[in-house]
Amino acid sequence: MPGQLATPSHTGYAVRTTTLPSAAGRPIPPDVLDRLRSIVGGDHVLVTDGDVEPFARDATPLFRARPGCVVLPATTGEVSAILRMATEHGIPVTPRGAGSNLAAATIPEHGGIVLVLTRMTALKEISGDELLAVVEAGVTTAELADACAAKGLLYAPDPGSRTVSTVAGNVAMCAGGLRGLKYGVTRNYVLGLEAVLPTGEVIRTGGRLWKDVAGYDLTRLLTGSEGTLAVITEVTVALLPMPAVARTGVAYFDSLADASRAVAGVIHDGIVPATLEFLDNRCINAVEDFAKLGLDRQAGALLLFGDDGTAEAVERSLSLMASTCERIGARGVTMARDIAESDALLTARRCSLPALARLAPITMLEDATVPRPRLAEMVDRIDAIAVRHNVVCATFGHAGDGNLHPTIVFDPDDGDARHRAEAAFSDVFDAAIELGGTITGEHGVGAAKRPYLERRLGADQMALLRRLKAAFDPAGILNPGKLGS
Amino acid sequence: MSEQPAAAPREIFDKDLLAACISCGFCLPACPTYSITKLENSSPRGRITLMRALQEGRLDEDDPTLQEQAGLCLGCRACETVCPAGVKYGELLEQWRDHQWRGRHTPVLAGGLRAGVRITPALIAGGMVRLAARQTGAADPTRPHVMLGCLERSLYPKVSKAVVRLIPEADVPSGQGCCGALHAHNGNSVEAARMAAALGDAMPGTIVSTSGGCAAYLDHQLGHGRVQELSQFLAARWEADPSSMPPLRTITSRGRTARVGLKDSCQLRNGMGVTAQPRALIAKVADYIELPSAGTCCGGAGTYSMLQPEMSQKVLSPTLEQARDLDLDYLVSLNVVCHRQLVAGVKRARLRVKVIHLAELLELAL
Ligand SMILES: Cc1cc2nc3c(=O)[nH]c(=O)nc-3n(C[C@H](O)[C@H](O)[C@H](O)COP(=O)(O)OP(=O)(O)OC[C@H]3O[C@@H](n4cnc5c(N)ncnc54)[C@H](O)[C@@H]3O)c2cc1C
Ligand code: SF4
Ligand code: SF4
Repeated sequence: MPGQLATPSHTGYAVRTTTLPSAAGRPIPPDVLDRLRSIVGGDHVLVTDGDVEPFARDATPLFRARPGCVVLPATTGEVSAILRMATEHGIPVTPRGAGSNLAAATIPEHGGIVLVLTRMTALKEISGDELLAVVEAGVTTAELADACAAKGLLYAPDPGSRTVSTVAGNVAMCAGGLRGLKYGVTRNYVLGLEAVLPTGEVIRTGGRLWKDVAGYDLTRLLTGSEGTLAVITEVTVALLPMPAVARTGVAYFDSLADASRAVAGVIHDGIVPATLEFLDNRCINAVEDFAKLGLDRQAGALLLFGDDGTAEAVERSLSLMASTCERIGARGVTMARDIAESDALLTARRCSLPALARLAPITMLEDATVPRPRLAEMVDRIDAIAVRHNVVCATFGHAGDGNLHPTIVFDPDDGDARHRAEAAFSDVFDAAIELGGTITGEHGVGAAKRPYLERRLGADQMALLRRLKAAFDPAGILNPGKLGS
Repeated sequence: MSEQPAAAPREIFDKDLLAACISCGFCLPACPTYSITKLENSSPRGRITLMRALQEGRLDEDDPTLQEQAGLCLGCRACETVCPAGVKYGELLEQWRDHQWRGRHTPVLAGGLRAGVRITPALIAGGMVRLAARQTGAADPTRPHVMLGCLERSLYPKVSKAVVRLIPEADVPSGQGCCGALHAHNGNSVEAARMAAALGDAMPGTIVSTSGGCAAYLDHQLGHGRVQELSQFLAARWEADPSSMPPLRTITSRGRTARVGLKDSCQLRNGMGVTAQPRALIAKVADYIELPSAGTCCGGAGTYSMLQPEMSQKVLSPTLEQARDLDLDYLVSLNVVCHRQLVAGVKRARLRVKVIHLAELLELAL
């Protein structure tokens, strides 16, 4: 989208570039700690070095910073009291769910409070009649999906981290997953939010209605806001009836580029399947080391395809996909025999990233996304970039969404390995943008991709982001240094 | 930020083992202590982050959280089986406790138990019961050697007798030492390895253990294949040679086929991957009922029930509720420490179910 590339700012507004709150980087004063304890109870304020250390990092390598304290509220009222006080004292607050994000989005780079929502775990309502569910922030994606499944309902967003990640964390990152092609991502399922502004007001955006255009769409704005605009305390999500049948198959190819061509072929045939995921040879081997499913270790790439719906529709779609793969030159195509085998394949795919950690001490992954027809081209570019920078890169991703996770593995003790990895990723971002894509499809910006954001948004949008941030958060306390800074 | 200037890095952990974790959090739902506290510090990922801070000098060696979490971990290794990165948590925990519980930091009970096991197992049992072992002269490498867990030898002599009836040609030497597992899990892995090696020398050929914990530790120390846990041994042997299986009748209770549940031994399940065999054996003689918590730690965990009584009972309580709700007649244990934990819990909760070692259950069917 060349129109969105960096252009000088014409708006003439004074743009605040530093949004750091006044007490950033300072220890939390004792009277503030006392007040926090009186709000949530002494057991739910952690202050000692050892107690706060585990909150110094998330699932992103190479980023860590210790917070001044960690607070675990149990109610929306408590969240509100904490935020009001933090604004009053200019203390940074970093919201945190399960800490599974891959963008260093929960790293408290400027100290202050890490606000952990994992004690808010009520599944308040699952309604088959209204096809919606209402949950508190800290419910995990899998808990929500399982509870819905037990009532014959589908919560469609399916991030690989579903057993760990929280629903509010998914909303805050607008998480994608393994069903993106047919079902979309988290944003497509958020009907309403209860959220607390940094100044303490509790707002309810959207709600239970399928149609509601009263006001700006704040629900969408908060979705993907990465904990920089408000703290989400409750989420209302849309559900679907559970499809009667879901099936999965596997096709092996000589290269990831061939697998990409098969993806294009499938979509060209007019099929929009639930799942189209691919892994390259390094990923196949790492996953097989853990999951021991008997995957073809020699293959250059594996394409996992799956669909759900009525038995006949699924039958038709799977056999069409299988024959397309064969036509493109698959070395082999197999179908999962039953649900257990399908689940095992999907579970194995979800493990790709941690399984790659077997290869070297540091596993750095990216999230570049391109328009689907450019997928094969992007795969080739990534290969060339890896060679140019002399890095070991393994690639997997949500092929059907054009979303790639090139993952560079290295040993930090190996000279300039980290530098080479960063240089390679910088080129990957440029390549993605050149092909009309983006620097992150689903993992978000956080602290990790903040330096590259302007390449995608341009100066005018960057400035608008800052003004939006200031409107929500005048003292700049919420997750400072990330989006909107 | 309250960051201390980093102290000098320390060499406590094997660097590669520590580097393997990428903090993805996949292990969180598997961890019993995390599911109770919901606190990152008492999760596998949080504990590994603490270990890193200790290794890299970012935390004081006497930091109270380090001390607390080294103790609060059950050592059940449920986190290991779900970790796609292949993190060897059990080994990291041993290295952690070796360091954390050195000298004056040893929890009083852990030190006492280590010493007790070394001097005489009977000391632990307060000299209550006599040994059930048969002495059979010089070790014969062609016969399976039954290894008696040192706690079990004194606390549950009936188990050893039952084993001898199930494996008539077994050699059960009386003068065996301890396998060292207790030491390894309580901060003394050097002494532990020595004990395991001595036991391996004293018992040539296949070693059959009635305790999952001992089996897994010895398997790790002596090399794969030397050691088999009882259910593993019996299942393989009876399948290979059906004539070696004694006639087994169906066990009844209250006028029906007995309803029997199982509590896996964590080390056996998570360390050795043995799960199918005990279930198959129980199903030969009774109605096997899978408890939802069958694979979760019972909270006994070596010396844990004594060192961390409160958490230990919280970890156990779902199992007791399920045993009651599913109307079990027997609850099978595969490890002496689990056995003791389950017996105490059943007694406290006044349940009808009887806790029984697998060997004793099978003996009932003879
Ligand atoms: C192995 C692995 C696989 C993954 N697979 C996928 C995938 O397939 N698709 C995908 O999109 N992502 C994936 N992720 C990334 C990650 O799981 C998602 O970003 C997830 O949504 C994060 O949820 P969380 O609860 O862990 O949030 P955290 O990591 O705790 O927080 C993420 C962000 O949300 C903010 N936040 C958290 N809770 C709140 C709240 N209540 N209110 C306001 N802001 C809040 C935080 O400040 C932070 O900015 C994966 C991660 C791992 C480790
Ligand atoms: S131990 Fe394994 S599963 Fe747990 S956080 Fe580390 S890499 Fe992930
Ligand atoms: S060994 Fe058990 S208690 Fe300890 S961290 Fe792993 S799962 Fe949790």
